[in-house]
Amino acid sequence: MEQRLLAAAAAGRNHNQFPKSLNAFVSLISNPCTSDSTLTTTAETLISHLQSPNSNHQQILSLLSALSDHHPRLRREVVAAVKYFILLPSITIPALSHALSLLDPADSAALDLFSDESLFLTLCFYECGKIRKWLLRNVSIFRVRPSVLLTILLGFTMDPFPYIREAALDGLVMILNDGVVVEDRSLVGGCYFRAAELLFDADISVRRAAVSAVSEWGQLNVASNPDEYKRDLSDALFLQLCVMVRDMDVEIRVSAFDALGKIPTVSENILLQTLSKKPLLSTKEKIYPGQYTEKLSNIPATAAAFAFLHGLGDDFFQVRRSACRALQTLMVPSAEFACGTVDILVCMLSDASVVVRLQALETLHCMASHGHLKVAEYHLDMFFSILIDNDALIRSAMRKTLQFMKLQKLAMFRSCIENLIKNLELYPQDEADTFYALYRIGCSHRKFVIKIIQEVSQELEPSLDGKLGFNKVKSAGLFVLAISAPVSLERKTSSVPPQIFSYAVTLLGRICHGLVDVVDENTLLSYLSQCSRFTFTSTSENIEGGLLDFGLKYNRIHLHEKSNEVSSPSKTHGPSEFTSPLESHVKSVSCVKTIFQKIVDLWPLIQLGCMNEVARTLRSLKEETKLFTRDSHRPEGVIVFAMNYIHAIKLLGNAWAYSLSMTNLQLKGMGALEYLLGKMERGLTEMLYRYVGMTRNEELHILELMLVTYAIRLACGDTCHFEEYMRKLDFVLCSIEYLYKEGSFEISRFVTDLQNVSREIGNSEDKAVDMPYLLLNSLNLFSLQHIMLSGELKHLDAEVDVCGNDFRKPLPFVPGLPVGIPFEITLHNISSEIKLWLAISVGERSTQFVFLDLNEFGGSDEIRKFKFVAPFFRTHRVKHLVLKVSIGMESSSENRNLKRYNGPKHELIYLSRDTEVHLSMVVR
Amino acid sequence: MAIECLVLGAGQEVGKSCVVVTINGKRIMFDCGMHMRYKDLRQYPDFSLISDSGEFTSSLSCVIITHFHLDHIGALPYFTQVCGYEGPIYMTYPTKALAPLALEDYRNTFERGGEKAQFTSEHIAECMKKVTAVDLKQTIHVDKDIQIRAYYAGHIHSHRRPSRPDRSERAPTAQSAPRRRPTYLARLTHVGAKPTSIMATLAPGAFLTTLLHSTPLHPKVLGAAMFYAKVGDASLVYTGDYNMVPDRHLGAAQIDQLQLDLVISESTYATTYRDSKYVQEREFLKAVHKCVTSGGKVLIPSNALGRTQELCLLLDDYWERTNLKVPIYFSSGSTIQANLYHKILINWASQNVKDTHARHNALDFKNVRSFDRSLINAPGPCVLFASPGNLNGGFSLEILKHWAPYKENLVMLPGSCSNGIIGSKLMSAKIPTQIKLDENVKTDVRCQIHKLAFSAHTDGKGIMDLVTFLLPKHVLLVHGEKPKMAALKEKIQSELGIECCYPANNETVTIPSTHHIEAGVSDAFLQSCMAPNFMFWKTNVGSDERTPPILQVHDDRVGQGMLTLQNPRVFTQNELRDVLGVENHQVKFAHCCSAAYDSEVSNAASDWSPSTSQKNSLLQLLFGLVSGDFPDCIMHDCQKGIQVGSFVASLCSREECPSSNADALHFRCTWSVTEEELAWKVISLVKNVKLSREST
Repeated sequence: MEQRLLAAAAAGRNHNQFPKSLNAFVSLISNPCTSDSTLTTTAETLISHLQSPNSNHQQILSLLSALSDHHPRLRREVVAAVKYFILLPSITIPALSHALSLLDPADSAALDLFSDESLFLTLCFYECGKIRKWLLRNVSIFRVRPSVLLTILLGFTMDPFPYIREAALDGLVMILNDGVVVEDRSLVGGCYFRAAELLFDADISVRRAAVSAVSEWGQLNVASNPDEYKRDLSDALFLQLCVMVRDMDVEIRVSAFDALGKIPTVSENILLQTLSKKPLLSTKEKIYPGQYTEKLSNIPATAAAFAFLHGLGDDFFQVRRSACRALQTLMVPSAEFACGTVDILVCMLSDASVVVRLQALETLHCMASHGHLKVAEYHLDMFFSILIDNDALIRSAMRKTLQFMKLQKLAMFRSCIENLIKNLELYPQDEADTFYALYRIGCSHRKFVIKIIQEVSQELEPSLDGKLGFNKVKSAGLFVLAISAPVSLERKTSSVPPQIFSYAVTLLGRICHGLVDVVDENTLLSYLSQCSRFTFTSTSENIEGGLLDFGLKYNRIHLHEKSNEVSSPSKTHGPSEFTSPLESHVKSVSCVKTIFQKIVDLWPLIQLGCMNEVARTLRSLKEETKLFTRDSHRPEGVIVFAMNYIHAIKLLGNAWAYSLSMTNLQLKGMGALEYLLGKMERGLTEMLYRYVGMTRNEELHILELMLVTYAIRLACGDTCHFEEYMRKLDFVLCSIEYLYKEGSFEISRFVTDLQNVSREIGNSEDKAVDMPYLLLNSLNLFSLQHIMLSGELKHLDAEVDVCGNDFRKPLPFVPGLPVGIPFEITLHNISSEIKLWLAISVGERSTQFVFLDLNEFGGSDEIRKFKFVAPFFRTHRVKHLVLKVSIGMESSSENRNLKRYNGPKHELIYLSRDTEVHLSMVVR
Repeated sequence: MAIECLVLGAGQEVGKSCVVVTINGKRIMFDCGMHMRYKDLRQYPDFSLISDSGEFTSSLSCVIITHFHLDHIGALPYFTQVCGYEGPIYMTYPTKALAPLALEDYRNTFERGGEKAQFTSEHIAECMKKVTAVDLKQTIHVDKDIQIRAYYAGHIHSHRRPSRPDRSERAPTAQSAPRRRPTYLARLTHVGAKPTSIMATLAPGAFLTTLLHSTPLHPKVLGAAMFYAKVGDASLVYTGDYNMVPDRHLGAAQIDQLQLDLVISESTYATTYRDSKYVQEREFLKAVHKCVTSGGKVLIPSNALGRTQELCLLLDDYWERTNLKVPIYFSSGSTIQANLYHKILINWASQNVKDTHARHNALDFKNVRSFDRSLINAPGPCVLFASPGNLNGGFSLEILKHWAPYKENLVMLPGSCSNGIIGSKLMSAKIPTQIKLDENVKTDVRCQIHKLAFSAHTDGKGIMDLVTFLLPKHVLLVHGEKPKMAALKEKIQSELGIECCYPANNETVTIPSTHHIEAGVSDAFLQSCMAPNFMFWKTNVGSDERTPPILQVHDDRVGQGMLTLQNPRVFTQNELRDVLGVENHQVKFAHCCSAAYDSEVSNAASDWSPSTSQKNSLLQLLFGLVSGDFPDCIMHDCQKGIQVGSFVASLCSREECPSSNADALHFRCTWSVTEEELAWKVISLVKNVKLSREST
């Protein structure tokens, strides 16, 4: 049978009969019993067919592909034949793409073909348009140098065929997304302007592709130009995209608004122009380079006129949503612009589409969290009508926004509370969430709360027949509000009638359910019962703070901002919810990631010196992070790391802002800055050494921040410590270089520049003069990157305690004689290789070090708990002595060698807080 | 080639839109409107300008109507039935359905005023029979040359009318409403179940006429379209009335990017810049909400096909969102009837309405019910839509009498009311006041008054946006006031660099148009076109000299061909000679020079010239010399000369040559332009040489 089939197949040698023998081939190939020799013959026959120009290549290629799939040992021959076939000049497109698909780019045999630029280029310049399209769409399988690819793509944007122009534009975007770095400024400009020209293409798909190309290359164009042009170029890009918001195609409008939302800095006057149809005075005469129409190559600033209002009033909800979303980023730097959009955004709250309403709320929420949301009285109706919206998601999002709102007048506050209570009455299912909102808004408007509670306190009293009307939803709401009123724990006074607290106890369960994020049931109960015994003072001005410790749970919705749907906290954090440790770890890691992303977003603000905004956001981020410390008594390493990082960034921001204004420096001197930098340096060093499991990237990130610290210090003319910090700088640079040699990551421009500067300063004669200028230049190159958390971080931590010792129960000692102090030491995540020292100091100067040999104590690396009696030798001749004890780790990599007798050879990194030990002379 | 535009109406004025365009020998009439200010023949465009003989059918290829407003369609029955135009007429489906109603309504109103209209009901019916209905974006081949296509224009509602029929004419119409109601309600129950059967009934002259008798039409325009027309290579867009901003009910205009020679655009609000609609909506809702929550009744006087749908959508949505249970009423079946229309023609509505259509038709108002007279004095709040919109009698006025004296009630007045009617009196009145409803009847007005301000046509920004998007070569403005048009023209010319004009009525403007010539291509040219051939260079872009030059890419493959004009054909440079069938001419330089030789070399015989063999040997000598300096020198043509590149020096055999000299070999030198320098070098070498035996 096999022979007969082979004969039939062989009969196909004549090309005309090939179709007939096709079936014979298929049978031979697919039958597992076919003998090897027959298969070899089959392969040979097919390959010879392939090389003849008259045969049906498509069919033969299918057969060959089947052959190599079924019989891998023949693959080598097949690939060789196909390679030969591809290079034949007579090849047709379908056959070519088919042939190329047979080759696996990962296959070593085919590798040279795909890495061969000449093949790619030859194919590119074929006369057939189809092959170009195929190539552009499959460009990723070829290994072409980015520079060559970029040139080819740019050239193809001129192609007469629209689908090739489109593919070329897509390719240009893809190149950037693949992380290719284009440094030639004129090339970047060339790509950008070519894409801008294609915004006016007659073909819709080309225009669509052009919008994203303009967005990507425009941003690169802005970034690659010197600072003095950046603002103008950014504005020009904004206007260029504004031209597209009136396109007739929905997708183009959507992507235009999406792209607008990605532009971080736009001049305020242009933003304001987007809200007005009439040309504003500030923009009237201005023109920017760009493409206004097919022929006009200058865009007037008035092109932005009404752009956003058109988008917000668009027929299609996709466009409205996208425009709304774009506002979220654009309103950050300009309060005036934000103010102008509030009007419309509030109107958007009545949009027919739920998606748009949600997005509008989210934008408003974002505005509120940036402190730009100024609510006028006439907005309130619309705002509060949203509270009784039919859609639960909308109501929940609205309540979240409310929590950030600052209401100027009592009447506004009252109407807000009334509407929240109405919400409560209409939708009992919202109770928990509404309670939380009431509490939050109460906290931020305490004076109003006092007034309102005093007004309604009569209503809250039991009726004449002694029954409490507490089952009323309204009373419950008011009780929650009362809880947010200020009390003074010290003076035991409260600003609302104390009996209200005792009434509130009757609703403890319900209230607690609402405030689950803030406080647990026991704390609340004790708080309420404590407050109910307070005296009532109506003059509430001097009562501040004193609000348990539940301010901590501030604004956790931040975390949910990222997710598109706004989830209600009561759902996700119900009291009955149980989370496994692993789950909570995953949660905290993802939370920390979000937080880090947010921090990166703050960088432009830091650069602008808007530290108030930054500090506010960082504070709230910190509080969010703190939430994760609640569940377990020991916070996870990641969380501690995040807290440290946030703190470091805050210091960096302050230092940056400080160094920005030289006048500031001249007025206040280096003192404050030095303090900040010192703190930051300590913090960063700790971060570097106190965590196990850091990846190179994380390490590099921190080292880079250290460089910034040093650079700021040196740039601001700290001449006293010049040598010391230059040495430190060099050391960190060396570490980075070392890391670089090990890993395969990019060194930022900032670092490379600093390396040059450090070299230059080394050679320079007048160091102190050149230095600040050079360093300031390289500091300008610095931008905060996203720190990627890759794995689990372990925080090295230690606790040291002397049990039962305080100033009332001192340990006895004899002056002049050594004394043994019994310590209880707990170590977390410290392996036995680490050199630990117990540092015992008296006063500022004298410190005694005691080495802790971890091998002597049991326990695992994860946690070690032991008692250790440490001798202290230098007891003074005094009656009382207070020692400060802490545990330090010898950092092996720190460069400084300390010449200490009987002590650590290197700098210590302290792992614990100072513990005081009280000693008292033995009285005989 | 040129496009000729004869503006028969709406030239520098608002009213009787009519433009006749001649493109490539074809004539198309866009719109055929009437002017409402006149009652005689002046209300019609001057058709005689199209054809003196009155032979309109042969002189026009087709008539295109953009929407059913009378100033766009009013003269059509007169033109077809009285003037005798028999050719094709195109309009969209909704326009075709609604146009006869509008025309019939006008005719009735006119005749009720005691005058005779220029056309009859039969005329209208007959006229509508000639109409071909078109769909949006459907390309129609009127004949083998003309293509037309309709695009959505999203026109919101009628512009303010220059004059409305006065009160005496209007009153009986409105008051007849209650009496006629049963008729069409009966019809409604008859057809209500099957939308398809309603579609069938939408045919001209059907039952819906009754609807219009009861409620004069001042509608928001369903089915308004822009028309694209192309004849040969020239193409244009006639916009009709359009709006670039969507509202709740109708979407914004929607058109493709086309290669256009001309856009004829309306310019009613050429210099107006309208603010966002959201604010107006908010005010409206706020006022209504405030009134109903305090227990008041809201009266919204509006026409059946007017803003009712728009406002209802707004209210119904708001009711849904805020859980208001207050009833909303339609005063009469007419509004319900009109809703039916809109439901059928859902495809013409805005995206929102379309999007939600699958779940529920937004025009199926959940909270809206029909009003009963007994409810007028029923306690409790409500919202009522009652016609007519201008409170000029009819049901809305009756309601007003009942509700106006109470200060918790609210009356919503439309944005514009003609002078003298009750609406305008209310608008300017200070509350509380007394209003004269009739000669004898006065009523106290203590209720609140709120003025609606919803937008009409596109504003100046919208026109600019459309023109910027379409980027035609020319813009022609119609349907606007002269000073505004002038301002807009200035703006279009200065900002976009597009030529613009706004002719007056009965003027003709000629606009140059594209003319494509079909040309064959040679295979070689085609091949050179197919392969990419791009290059890069840096140029300055824009006027700003400070900006660095920008890298630009050029792909000149198409431009590098040659075109023969006779029997047009494009080919590459290489093919030039073959195509033209001519010989290749070359410019060459020639020069005579001589190389001296030692006479010893030749034999001392009397024969003064050397023999051929001697010449050859001399030439050999020369060749040896020259090739020493010019390595690529070759012996040429049977040893008669030498050649270096294109330089050829051949022995001159002309004996009578005046410069002939016994002791010299004469050469005739030729060379091509490009190698002049080389040639002179060789010549100077030859001149200075003295050939002798020794030199070999």
